[in-house]
Parts: sequence; structure tokens; C-alpha cells
Amino acid sequence: MQFELSHVDKVYESSEEIKVYGAKNVNIKIPEAEFMALVGPSGSGKTTILNLIAGLILPTAGSLKHGGEDITSMSLEERTKHRLDYMGFVFQDYQLLPILTAAENIEFPLQLKGFSKKEIKERVEWALTQVGLEKLGNRFPSQLSGGQQQRVSIARAIAGRPQLILADEPTANLDSKTAQEIIELFLKLNKEFKLTFIFSTHDQRLIDQVRTVLYVKDGQISESRVHNV
Amino acid sequence: MSGFAYLVKFSYRNLFRVPRRTLIMILSLSLGCGFIIWDLNFANSGSKEMMKEFLSQYAGNYHITHPDFYDDHNKKEFNLYKTMSDAELEEKDLIQLSTKRVNAPVFISGEKKTLGVLLTGLDVVKEKKISTLYKAISEGRFLAEAGDKEIILGKKFAKRINVKVGEQVATVGQAIDGSIANDLFTVVGVLDFGGGDLEESLAFTQLQSAQELLAMPLEKYHQRVSFDMDSEIPLSLKNHEISKWTELLPEIGVSVRFIDNFTWIVSIIIVVVVSLGLSNTLMITFFEREQEFTSLNIIGAQTSWITASLMVEVFVMGTIAVFIGALLGFAATTYFNYYPINIEIFTGGKPIIMGGITIAPLVRIYSVPQYYWQVPLMIYFFLILTMIYPLIRVIRRSKNAV
Repeated sequence: MQFELSHVDKVYESSEEIKVYGAKNVNIKIPEAEFMALVGPSGSGKTTILNLIAGLILPTAGSLKHGGEDITSMSLEERTKHRLDYMGFVFQDYQLLPILTAAENIEFPLQLKGFSKKEIKERVEWALTQVGLEKLGNRFPSQLSGGQQQRVSIARAIAGRPQLILADEPTANLDSKTAQEIIELFLKLNKEFKLTFIFSTHDQRLIDQVRTVLYVKDGQISESRVHNV
Repeated sequence: MSGFAYLVKFSYRNLFRVPRRTLIMILSLSLGCGFIIWDLNFANSGSKEMMKEFLSQYAGNYHITHPDFYDDHNKKEFNLYKTMSDAELEEKDLIQLSTKRVNAPVFISGEKKTLGVLLTGLDVVKEKKISTLYKAISEGRFLAEAGDKEIILGKKFAKRINVKVGEQVATVGQAIDGSIANDLFTVVGVLDFGGGDLEESLAFTQLQSAQELLAMPLEKYHQRVSFDMDSEIPLSLKNHEISKWTELLPEIGVSVRFIDNFTWIVSIIIVVVVSLGLSNTLMITFFEREQEFTSLNIIGAQTSWITASLMVEVFVMGTIAVFIGALLGFAATTYFNYYPINIEIFTGGKPIIMGGITIAPLVRIYSVPQYYWQVPLMIYFFLILTMIYPLIRVIRRSKNAV
């Protein structure tokens, strides 16, 4: 099922006179197994578009659909459930819960989904294996390096086998070697499991690896390029 | 693990992410809870013990009388002619810890002065077993078991009519047949109630002497006064009326109720103050984690789940706190049960006089079981109030997460 944004505007109004376009006439089709990056300077509207796709904010105009289902007509609770069912998230600063171990962090969205104990165990082990942390599941985030924490964050995002993974500057806080490892992990997951990835990034190494690059400027998609990777 | 069990585990872990802060919150709640339980136990035991002592001296726990003996509206007034007898009583068990009394308003004349007083005829043998009136004798002696026409007077009354132990007084009243009752009595003792009103309004004689004065048959009397302080008071007896001490001495009952209610009010104030402090700490705790709530919402946690986890967090903390608080309250109560408190420390060493009777200063504290659930329940109630504002803020922020 593909995600589709058609003629989406997002206007932020600080007063009647001052209106800022976070997104302006955005049209994006996200096919399955896409590996896409939103690229642009700070404040260009990358994160707004990512948040629109996630249903975290609603467009001022236009439509946002997933497999024909209109996300904009959903309630707040329905959109949260929709994210839980179909999306995974990777954050720049990992956003792991410090009170939970790596395995428990991965378990968290699975618990919310209501999986059985057996299924949760299997999925957590699978996710940890995919990110190469099968022996570190019992460690708390504070006992892990930045790269390891980002791997846990990725494992959390993929454990529920979502259709779409949204990653906001996922390599920004990592050293270059670790960033490269993480990019390779994204590529591996995309190829092996046909997971769809959308990144918001400045990282040229990541931009070089994605299939589609959407350049964002003043809330608009100014240019798009398709790489043959 | 079920959803709820996971929620509890999640909340429990969150509770101890800043252990020092959580321990301070638990400590303040448990100390508050423990103190309130102890304080309520103290107030209850204190008033109960004082009442027991006061009532066992003279007034008793309840009176069994002819239904028309007391005036319905004012139990200070009674009808002299409404007598009763043992033969009329059906439930003998109720009268085991009771004694017969005859009451008569009379004038007593000393050498120069005549004053009115309530003369009470006592069953001396029984009275000495179950009441402590004889302990209030400050001069002379108590009524002799086999004596006749003896009288003991309150200290103030004796002073006012200027009579001393060994002297004779004349009494004049009305007999139950309507005739004038008069006789001579010998003062054998003086009662010291600590200077209260009772010292100038009461006089006592042997039951038989009072019956003879009032021209009353020996099997007849006015009331049975029960000194059974612990067992339940019967609601009614066939053909008789039961009047509890709270009806007979309403002003004393009001004092006891005031102590109980005042202690509860103080307890609520303590909980409110603790809650305000707690609410502020909770607010800080919750706001520190706002970014985390946003992330939880982004990865799929509903606002209701986040709210529930915070509520469980506070309830887990509350449960730990009230459990420790109840143990502290119990420990303090038990300690002061073994080592009674001298309540004269609250009066600067002056004696406490209640209804004209001096109360023993040592109070032994007993646990009242109901306080061990009432106080935690009250704390839970205030915890809910405490949480409302921080939670509303969390819900608002979570709904405008991005």
C-alpha cells in the first residue's frame, strides 16, 4: 500500500497577517520498498513533510492517503493507532526510554500492539539480530554507545514489521564510521525486507545511497532526483 | 505479560528513575500518613479514656429507667414518681454491670443556710464494685455498707452550707406519695471532684435511706446505671427506656465530637499541605519528561496510555507510601500504648477537669482499625486531586505533540 500526498499545504499562522508555509503544494507518492530522502536546509520544511506523512500534524489543504485511506479524516487516536500499525520511527537523538533495557525498548511498541508474549520475544530477538545487537539486549541505553543506541532505535522501528519507516536526521549525532554502519543497516533492511524508508537528512553519505532525493525549499519540493543504486 | 501488568512495570521503573526525588515524596507522604493515623488514634484514645474515666466515676454509660422518667426534651429533668423494679426488667444480662439509684431534689440545711441539691441513693456494695465514686472522697469516708441515714456532700456544697464531717444536716423534699419528706442525715464524707459544678449540686446517701425518705417501697428505684463501657448498648428494653450518656450529658458528648472532628480537620489540612508540595514535584517530574511523552506518542502510545502510566506511577508511589505510613502509625501507636503520654504537658501541668471531674493525665493510645483504611483512602483521594492539573497539562501537550 502506498502513501500519497496530493497538493498538500501546511500553513502556520502566528497572527492574521503572518502566515508561514511549512509545506506548499507538496505532491509525493511513496511506493513500497522506496528508499527516499528529503533534503534541504534547516527550516526548509523537511520535518513538516515527515510529520505530515506520519499524521502527527494535519495539512491545511490537500489530501494525505495511505492505501486509499484518508489519514486527514482520522481522529487523533486513530492516527496514533495508524502510526503504531504501519509506521516505525528513528530519531536523531534515538529517544530510547532510559528506564527500559534495549530489548524492553524494542518490546514497547509490540506491547502497545497487543502481541502475545511468545511473538514479542521472537520479534525482539529478530530485530536485535538484524541490527547486530543480539548480545546487548539486557543493557540499558546509558550502557550503550550512540551508534548502539541508534541501532536499538532502528530495531524498535522495524520490530513491528511496519510498511514505512520515517527517520529524522538519523545519522546527525553519529561519528562518520558509525553513521556509515547505520546507513548500511538501512540499506540492508530495505533490500532484504522491502521496508520503505523516508529520511530527513543533511548527510551526504546517506543522500548518495538513497534511490529518490526530494529537495525541499520553502516548504516546496523544488527538485527530485532518482539514483540508480 | 498483560497490558496492565506491563503498564505497572513501566510505571514502577519510571518511579525510580530519579530515586532521591521519589524517596522524598514517599517519605513526606508516609510521614504524613503515619502521623495522621497516630494523631487520630491519640485523639480517639484520649477522649475515650477520658470519657471512660469520667463516666466510671459517677455518670455511667447508660441509664435504664421508666419510659417517662426523663423529660423527652431535657434529660436534666425527671419525674420522681416514675419508678421501676428488678421484677419488671426482663433482660437480666443487661444489668450485670449496673447499680440501682434513687434520685430526689431536696433542700439540705446546715447550721445557718439551706440550699437545694440532687440527693442520690446508692447501692453502696454494688457502687463500690463498679464505679469509682468512693475514690473522690477527700475528707471522712464513703458511705458504710450497713450504715443508715449517712450522707456525703460535695466539697463546695459543704462549704456553702458550712457543715463538716460528723455534723448533722436536715433534708426536706417531696416523697413519691406527694407528702413532705424530711429527715436528719449525718455527714460522713466530703467529695472532691476537682472543683467543678458537681461539687455544689450533688449529695449521696444509702439506697435504703433515700427510699425511706421518699416513702418508696424497697423493691422500687428510679434508675439502673450501667457501667458496662465496652459492650454494645441495647437499643431498647421492653417497658423501659435506655438513655446513653451522650443524651444525659450532651455538653460532654459535644466536646468529644469536637475533639474527633477537629483532629480530622487538622489531618485533612496536613494532607492538603503535603499534596500541594507533591503536586508541584509531580508537575516538575512530568514536565521534565515532556519530550519523552511526545516520542511515546509518535511511536504509537495513545494519550490515554501515557496518562494511565502516569496515574499508575503516582498510585504505586502512593501505595508504597501509605503502606509505610500505616506501619509507622501502628508502630508509634504501639509505642505510646506501652509508654502512655502525660497529657498535662499540653496544659502546662494543670489538671484537666471534665464535667467537674479531674481526669487522670496518662493516656494510653490504642489502634482504631478503621483509621488504617480511612486515612490511606483520604490520601488516595488527595493524590487524585494532586494529579489532575499536571495530567491535564500532559494531555494538552501530548495532543499538540509536534
